[in-house]
Amino acid sequence: MSQAAGSPLAETIPRAGLVPALFAIALGGCALIPGGTPPEGIGTAAIELVDTPFFPQERYQCGPAALMTVLTDSGAQTSLDALVDQVYLPGRQGSLQAELVAATRAAGRIPYQLDGSMQAIRTELEAGRPVLVLQNLGVSWYERWHYAVVVGVNPEKSQVVLRSGTESRHVTDAQTFMRTWRRSDSWALIVLRPGELPTNPDQHRYYQALSALEETGHFSEARGGWQAALDRWPGDTVALFGMANAELALDNFPAAESLYRQLLTQNPSSPAVRNNLAHALARQGEKTEAVEQIGLALDSVLDDEQMRLELEDSLREIQGGGDH
Amino acid sequence: MKPSIFQHIVARLMAIAIISMGFVQVSAAGVIGTQQMVNSEARQDQLAHIETLLARQDVASQLALYGVAPEMVMERVQNLTNAELAALEGKMDQQVAGGDILALIGAVFVVLLILELTGVIDIFKAK
Repeated sequence: MSQAAGSPLAETIPRAGLVPALFAIALGGCALIPGGTPPEGIGTAAIELVDTPFFPQERYQCGPAALMTVLTDSGAQTSLDALVDQVYLPGRQGSLQAELVAATRAAGRIPYQLDGSMQAIRTELEAGRPVLVLQNLGVSWYERWHYAVVVGVNPEKSQVVLRSGTESRHVTDAQTFMRTWRRSDSWALIVLRPGELPTNPDQHRYYQALSALEETGHFSEARGGWQAALDRWPGDTVALFGMANAELALDNFPAAESLYRQLLTQNPSSPAVRNNLAHALARQGEKTEAVEQIGLALDSVLDDEQMRLELEDSLREIQGGGDH
Repeated sequence: MKPSIFQHIVARLMAIAIISMGFVQVSAAGVIGTQQMVNSEARQDQLAHIETLLARQDVASQLALYGVAPEMVMERVQNLTNAELAALEGKMDQQVAGGDILALIGAVFVVLLILELTGVIDIFKAK
């Protein structure tokens, strides 16, 4: 993948015999056995996102380069240098999956993991989204973990097209791709703009991604995500709660309050909703009603010691007036 | 590369210093996060809170040990969720790190070449 790998490699080849011949064939890109049936889910028509940008990697830095490709494609403002600082791990000469996910959040995008099928890649390509994948290009005893970006598939030729390493258009046999990809448990990631949904969203996985944005303090991105969820699944309890929590964290107290109240009409016995409603009220100076709401919540959690502790914390917080 | 004991101590101290600078308080005290509703088992009790702090410290010190600049350590840890921190805690050396291909040595090269031609691996440039 890297230019650096090319030169020492060439020096190790014996000068005569079969090996140089094989080498020539390999460099000719003509694999002998690959081919055959295209993988399931690859579709029927060829598709390629030719406008997806390309950022050639520096040594060991396929992680930042591949991430830069998908982030830039989604319109995020970042730079390769910034991403190297955020995801490259010098002591490991590589990047961890969790850190690519984390850096996607830092860039204001929603990291959403696909289900690991060729069908899912194809579907996202059709929606115009390139797919970041982790491959092990080597074998178990010679591991070569590598991040690349799928930008196209060609069912007829059974090929996959990638932005990979220093190659802007790496065309590989689709079955070979499947093998190298499967070694990472078929890890595949797309980056979504807040407000954008995956083509066939898995609700739980999408909600996890949004809740992670909230947990790491990216509230306005989370809000955009929850709004899209509510457009797709109107009145959904978790999405309403997420939306309300985002509004609360963004200091939009009346908006948060009205969402919590909407939730209570659907589910009057939720102590978590009452707890957060109390905070939304307290932040608007409605201390009396806030305390009342905590009281109502406490009445409903006799058997839930953990929730009781949380509600009592909230009560102290609200009565102390230090809710911030 | 195996970090020395000295490096371990420095990284650990650095992590503690960074952590004690304090992370941004992400959500207001007492507010219940959406995660509890997404995953009902994801309860943030007192014990979990301490475990999270320890995981954070551990991941921070591992990042420092692996050569991440001190000023970046906190930012990187900040964007990881509690679940991700727990998954990385004490295991960063076992996580897959996507990098690229290293220089190959003779005999290994021949075997790899055969594997490449049979489509088992995809190391060599196709041009």
